[in-house]
Formats: sequence, C-alpha cells, structure tokens
Amino acid sequence: MKLLTANRLTDGLTLWFSAAGWSEDAAQAARLDDDAAEALLTEWKARETEVVGAYLIPLSAADAPVQREHVREFVRANGPTIGQTADEIARLHGRADIFQEY
Amino acid sequence: MYVYDSFDHAFVRDRNAEFADQVARRLSGELSEDQFKPLRLMNGLYLQLHAYMLRIAVPYGVLSSKQVRKLAHIARTYDRDFGHFTTRQNLQFNWIKLADTPKILEELAEVEMHALQTSGNCIRNTTTDQFAGAARDEHEDPRPWAELIRQWSSNHPEFTFLPRKFKIAITGADRDRAAVRVHDIGLHAKPEGFDLYVGGGLGRTPSLGHRIKTGLKGEQLLSYLEACLRVYNRYGRRDNSYKARIKILVAALGPDEYARQVEEEWESLDKAAIDAPAAEIVRIRSFFPDPDFKDAKFDRVAYERAQTADKAFARWVKNNTLAHKRDDHVSVTISLKPVGLPPGDASSAQMDVMADVAEQYAYSELRVSHEQNVILPHVPKADLYALYTRLDAANLSTANGGKITDMIACPGLDYCSLANARSIPLAQDISQRFADANLTDKIGDLQIKISGCINACGHHHVGHIGILGVDKQGIEFYQILLGGRADENAALGVITGKGLPAEAVPAAIERVVQLYLQLRTSDSERFIDAVERLGRNTFAEALHEPA
Amino acid sequence: MSLLNSSHTPQLVTTDGEIIPDGWTLLADEETTGVDGPYVLGFDRALKELDGLNGHYGIRVNPGDDVRLLLPFIEKITLIEVSFPGYRDGRGYSTARILREEGYTGAIRAVGDVLRDQLFLMLRCGFSEFLVKDKDPVQAIAAAKSRFSVFYQGAADTNRPVWALRHTVES
Repeated sequence: MKLLTANRLTDGLTLWFSAAGWSEDAAQAARLDDDAAEALLTEWKARETEVVGAYLIPLSAADAPVQREHVREFVRANGPTIGQTADEIARLHGRADIFQEY
Repeated sequence: MYVYDSFDHAFVRDRNAEFADQVARRLSGELSEDQFKPLRLMNGLYLQLHAYMLRIAVPYGVLSSKQVRKLAHIARTYDRDFGHFTTRQNLQFNWIKLADTPKILEELAEVEMHALQTSGNCIRNTTTDQFAGAARDEHEDPRPWAELIRQWSSNHPEFTFLPRKFKIAITGADRDRAAVRVHDIGLHAKPEGFDLYVGGGLGRTPSLGHRIKTGLKGEQLLSYLEACLRVYNRYGRRDNSYKARIKILVAALGPDEYARQVEEEWESLDKAAIDAPAAEIVRIRSFFPDPDFKDAKFDRVAYERAQTADKAFARWVKNNTLAHKRDDHVSVTISLKPVGLPPGDASSAQMDVMADVAEQYAYSELRVSHEQNVILPHVPKADLYALYTRLDAANLSTANGGKITDMIACPGLDYCSLANARSIPLAQDISQRFADANLTDKIGDLQIKISGCINACGHHHVGHIGILGVDKQGIEFYQILLGGRADENAALGVITGKGLPAEAVPAAIERVVQLYLQLRTSDSERFIDAVERLGRNTFAEALHEPA
Repeated sequence: MSLLNSSHTPQLVTTDGEIIPDGWTLLADEETTGVDGPYVLGFDRALKELDGLNGHYGIRVNPGDDVRLLLPFIEKITLIEVSFPGYRDGRGYSTARILREEGYTGAIRAVGDVLRDQLFLMLRCGFSEFLVKDKDPVQAIAAAKSRFSVFYQGAADTNRPVWALRHTVES
C-alpha cells in the first residue's frame, strides 16, 4: 500500500490524498494499492499549478512509512518535534501523532 | 550602518517587481516548477518539509531596531509568530505562503531589506565579525568592504548561474570570528592589504582555504574577486552537484595553478571598469562611523555592587559581554540558546524586546552572529543592569555565551527537506543535561555544533565537539567529531568511531567532558586546548565506552 | 496546449527586439562547405580549419570551450553561437563577456535553453541575438531591457555602474 503526498503550490502546506481529495491531515490519507497510486501520481505530477513535489510513500505491514522515510514522514505528518515556538500539526488537527511504530 | 540612496531603493524595487512577475507566471502555469525553482531560490524561497521557507538577508549580520521590528511584524502577520536566526547571519521564516511573498518583500523594502541571493547558485550574503566596529583587536572595519561586495554581487550578470553557491566571509581583527578559512573565499584584512583564502568549506568535502594572495589592496578587491569567480564559473564542475563547489576545483588544479589562472584572468580584466573608485569606498565608509558614544558617568562602584547583589547578573556579565574598544562600553551577546529550547529561535515578542532595548541602550544597532545569537555591539556599562533586567523579563538573559549550551544547530529534519536526522531535539537534550550553570561555567568555553546532514549547515566539522546526524534504515544516528575549530587556528574535527543513537549522545558527551575536567592542567586550559595537547583518541575512547 | 512558455517554438530576436530570420547553416563536422552558406562550424573544427579558410564564419561554442582560442581567427568570425544546454549552466555568460573584453564586435547569439528570465543577464554580458522560447519574444526583450534601472557592476553593455553615476552626480 502507498500514500500520495505533495505540497500545495500557493501556500506550500503538506497535503495527503484522501477519499475526498487533498487533505492537510495525514490521518485522512487514503491507502492506495500500487497501480492506483502510480496512476494518481502521474496525474498530479502534471497538475503543477495545484500541487508540487508529489510523491508516493510506501507503507509497511504495520501501516507506517518504511525505512529511511520513517522519521521524515513522521515529522512531516505531525509537525516539528521541538515544542515551544514550533507549530504542532497533530494538535492542530486534534488528533494523536500518526506513524509512530518503528 | 549603511543607508540606501535612491539607486539602492530603485534596485530593490525593480528586483521585487521582477520576482512578483515570476510568482504570477508560476501561479498561472507559464513557468514550470523546474524553471521556477532556481528563480525562487534566488529570492530565498525554499519549499521545505512543511511549507515554504523564506530566508531574509541580513547583510553581514547588521540590523537596526526598526528592521528588527519589521521582522517581528512579518513573523506575526505572515508566519507563526517566530523566526530562526541562521549560521549565515540571516533570519528565516518557516511557514510562508508563496502568494504572500511579493507583499512580504515590499514590506522588507520599506526598511531597506530583501531576500536576494540568500539561496541559489550565486554569490550569497557576505558574513563577517559580529563585533565589527566594536572589538578591541580590530584594525580594519570589515563592514564597508562587505557592503562593497554586497553591491557588486547583487544581480551580477556573469555570476548568477554558478556551478554552486558561493560564500564569502571577511574579518578585520586579529582573532577570526568570521571563520574565513571555511568559506569559498575568506578575506582577512591586514595592515598591508587583504589576505585572500580560497577553497575552504564544510559540507561533504570539508577543507580549509588556501591563501593565494596577500597584500591585496581594497581598491582592487572587486576586480580580483571577479577574476576568482570567472575561473570558477568557467571551470568548476557541473556534472555532479556534490563536486561543484570551488574547493573541488582548487583541489583538482592545486592552489598554485588556480592562483596562476586567477592572476592571468585578473591581468586581462579592465580593472578600472570593475573596481569602484576611491570616492565610492569613502562614501560607503562614511556610513560606518562610531555611534555618538554616550559619555554616561560610569559608576564602577555601583556596577560592581550590582554584580555582588545579583549573582545571575554577574554570571551574565562574565559570559555574555566582551571588552569594547572603549572602557566605558561593552558588547553584549543576547543568547538565543535558553536551556531546552530550539537554538536560534526568537518569538515576535522577543524580537520586539530586542529592538526596544537596542534603541534604548545600544544606539539602535544589533547584529546576528553565526553562532545564532543576537549581539548588541555597543552598550554603555552604565546601562548594563537596566538592559539585563529587560532581557531577563523576556527570557533573553541566558548566561551561556560561548559555553557548552551555546550550541549551533541547523533546523534538521524538523523542518529541512534535505536533512537525514533531527538536530534541534538533540541540542535540547544536551542542553538539559548541562542545565546547571555552575557546571557549564566550570567547563568553560566549549563549542558543540550539530548538523542534521552532510551539508553541514550546523558547522559540525569545526565544532570542538561536532555532531552529524545520519540515517540508518529509518533510525537516526549521530556521529561525533572531536577537535574542530573555526577561529584563526582553524582545524577540521575528526569522526570518532561508530554513530550513536540519539538517546546515547548526551551521556557520551558528558563522559568526554568529565574526562576533560579530570585531565586539564588548570581552569585556563580550554577543552579544545586539552584535545590538542592529549590527542583526540584520549577523548574518543570516553565517547564510546560506557562509564 | 500547455501554458508553459518554454513549450513555444524558439524564435530569433535581436537586442533591438526585431524578429530576424536565421540565415546560417550549422555544419555537422563531416559535412563540407558548399554554396548554401553562411556556415556555423563546430568549435574544434573551427580551430583546425579556420586558418586555411577564406570568408566569414559562424562558430558554435559549447560550455567548457575556451573561447580565447578563437582570438587568432577573430577577423573571420561574424557570428558566435553560445549554447546553453540547460538554463542553469552559466558558463556562456563568461564566454560572451570574454569575447567583448577581447574586442569582438560581431554577433553573439544565445542558443539552447534560452528563457525570458535569462535575457537581462545575457544583454548585460554582451549577447546580441537570442533564440528564445517564449510566446512573445519581442515583449520578453522589451521587459528585460526595462526591468532594471540600476546596475551595480560594469559589464559588456553600455549601462554605467551605479558607483559611476553616484560620483558624477556629486561632481
């Protein structure tokens, strides 16, 4: 399974492709089978006036990004992990952190 | 500080209009992302992990109170209420909207600021000694020269698409606080002219610059730089971005051959058409006079009494002030490294406080240091306690200047799309470990520098203790380097053994520090001195051996 | 059709904003010169053959070619095509400046990945013709020429560096 992610052109915010289109909340991301994921990736790479830097995140059996993408995607989905002046995306969406399992 | 004339204003206005047009063409689809990327980077706009990041140029680290207030306003209005001071003496915002950037640039232009050439393969912001114009050991003020270079390098038609980025640093003091030997070009002003170093740098292939010229006259600086850059632009590698910096070219040719080619190119140039005339240098210099120093009656007895009464103030004076060229003034370091918080971050409210205190006590002048702190270069001693009290109320009085908790850390994987590992949480853990101010004072001067990837924005090669984050199958590990330094005796640190997981790093550093405390000959033998005397291996063993 | 400006067919435009026909034929290295000149020769071929040739030629200069090697034959050259294989390769700017510094007065043409955002830099470095990919090359040249009123450096164009203006104004 894979997730499709990108950044919105106008404000740069991180987006995940959900059943209802692009969502700012990683928890809404649709689990896509590989063929569907590739087709969507091709489509959205061409739609450059809407999103930029589209790519797929492969998921492990434990439903978390695999290998070297793990920490990166954890931070991308939940916000900086540094407290105080940082924005906490997870809190913004009123949910717990996702992609925890190592 | 330098004040724009009508030409400078017109230039920034024209350049901002050009960028606004580029943004509009990107939004309409006339420009692809591939085409737009180098254009937005040349305006300091990156796409990072969470959003666009805008890096604002602070030319040679010099800011006025008015400018800092504008930065606070931008943080509040367009970002999430804070900014991050960087190791290139700049300031970056982490959550900027592309569509807002033309408006932000307009606001910056109102206070003679911009974001030009803070990224991209062009000549970047020239950095310098944060104590320029104030330090006792200075014999040449580097700021006018940095301003001359800023203007010459702005929109340079030949050097806008270099093989890679190009960084120049300049100092005019005996002690090198600008790390000139780890820059693409480093300039060290001496009484007989500039020493010019080329090919230094950190990153994937760390190297120290080679001195290829001595006695270079300031009046010929620009034409000589033009020759250096032209040889690089023509022959620097473009097939592999990791090998495209000038240090690789200098290593491949050998410093002597590179210098020969530069001299040959310099001879062929029409120097009079490139070098600004003496009158222009005089004009630029005229913007950097001493402030109108306040002859405040300095009451030494009261000053010392305040320190006796307030131990925290005494500690702050000891660690965060530097002798000034005038006996009745000091230079103050406002530490942006409070224990447990992200190094280099300041909230908009803190920026406003710094602007206010600079206006009230420090002739409205501030500097950004490459150590990610804010400096007030000229403060009358008579006002020091009042200043301290105001800073203390804003959580800006951390008394750790130059100490183990005054760490450099790049944004790392919490923000940066290039990073392999996080830097800031590790810095926070280390600073918690050394939260006891008595302990940090006992340890004395010790620089820890942390980078979240090989690009070395956190200068890990030149930390007394350097830390490099790496990724191993989805887990962050940290390699520890020992023995680096960025001063006039610059040296590159050496990696010691295997990488450690994040949770093991603070304890490992503590073991090294405890060993140093045991082995040092006296309080005045600094950590780096002891490492150099005893060898890195003595300390490397402590890093990797559980206590 | 794509909105992308770079998907437009390249058109040749001059510094004065005139669209001009090409009129030159780029010769492959094995081709011999016939009657359909004028010809543009590859750089290495030019170095080998120019000495023995009469007439006037165009020369294609790629990034990495040392344009100073052409100087002995400069009287036979009326066009130099400077190629930009990718628009981030900036070597061509140095090539053009060196040519102008050495007194070459013929045409310098930018070819390859030439987009409107480079035109300002090219004008300053001494280029005189541009094979530019843009929906409106004439407007692109006009925009590049009017975008800036202040220039901080001397270059190959006639714009005076700001320091010269500052000290003229004062004196």
